[in-house]
Amino acid sequence: MIREKFSAKVVIVPCSGIGKTYGTVSREVAYDITEDLRAKDTQLVALSMLVLGDESARSAITGNPAITIDGCKLACASKMVKESGGMVAQEIAVLDVYRRYKQFKPQGIAELNEGGLKLAHALAEEVAITIDALVAEDKGGQNA
Amino acid sequence: MTDYLKTTVDKFTFKVATDCLYNAEGIWVKPEGKFVRIGLSDFLQQHSGDVAFAEVKPVGASAVFGDEIATVETIKVNISLASPVTGKVVEVNPSMSTAPEAINQDPYGSGWLAVIEATDWNADKSRLLSPQAYFTKMKLEAEQEVKKE
Repeated sequence: MIREKFSAKVVIVPCSGIGKTYGTVSREVAYDITEDLRAKDTQLVALSMLVLGDESARSAITGNPAITIDGCKLACASKMVKESGGMVAQEIAVLDVYRRYKQFKPQGIAELNEGGLKLAHALAEEVAITIDALVAEDKGGQNA
Repeated sequence: MTDYLKTTVDKFTFKVATDCLYNAEGIWVKPEGKFVRIGLSDFLQQHSGDVAFAEVKPVGASAVFGDEIATVETIKVNISLASPVTGKVVEVNPSMSTAPEAINQDPYGSGWLAVIEATDWNADKSRLLSPQAYFTKMKLEAEQEVKKE
């Protein structure tokens, strides 16, 4: 059986909270994943494009699994992906992750401090594992 | 069932439980026999932001009116909370170490901080605000915050 493939791309949708430290961490995570750790397997979609109803952004999240990274409990990224018809494979709240990495206290807005960058990288490494699983699952499905 | 005084300022609604007394910074105090239960008011928790960590003085520690009883780290600030009574800590909410977000989710319920055996409740009580007095103070503060933005 050949399953419809998602082009081996996992969509990463970070928080758009400008001026908020945890929002900045979420975007740093997204850049780390999409430009470095798993550049080949991922695609960054800006939350603002979904809010504006951009067709390519909407198409990306409806055709691929999404990982949302929210900066606060309002969870705008997760909500917007779901409202746009996307499938959220994993919802992440930066605050929950920080509770596990108390030593990496994020500070700064335009530029994160060292703690913020380390927190972002630690989270990016965790997300990379989820991405690998999603990609492997997709390949397994295609080969079945 | 607890009744609340409520006000909406801008897009935020704040509740003040009527069965508690309050210190000026917004710590609520609920008498329970010879003990008092304490926690953060709805306004204080909303104003401070999502809680990341909360540390409360351990069971057996002394609490002194006006001295630090707990620290809370949120996504916005680190705050030191002053004890609203003098006495001894007899119970600490175990959720504070595992799920401190209870402070945000249910500030007057499961988000309580500690139970203190008050040694001079009458003296402490006279220094605390009634629900109505705290409500008036909180509302003014909330309105001033909105004007600043």
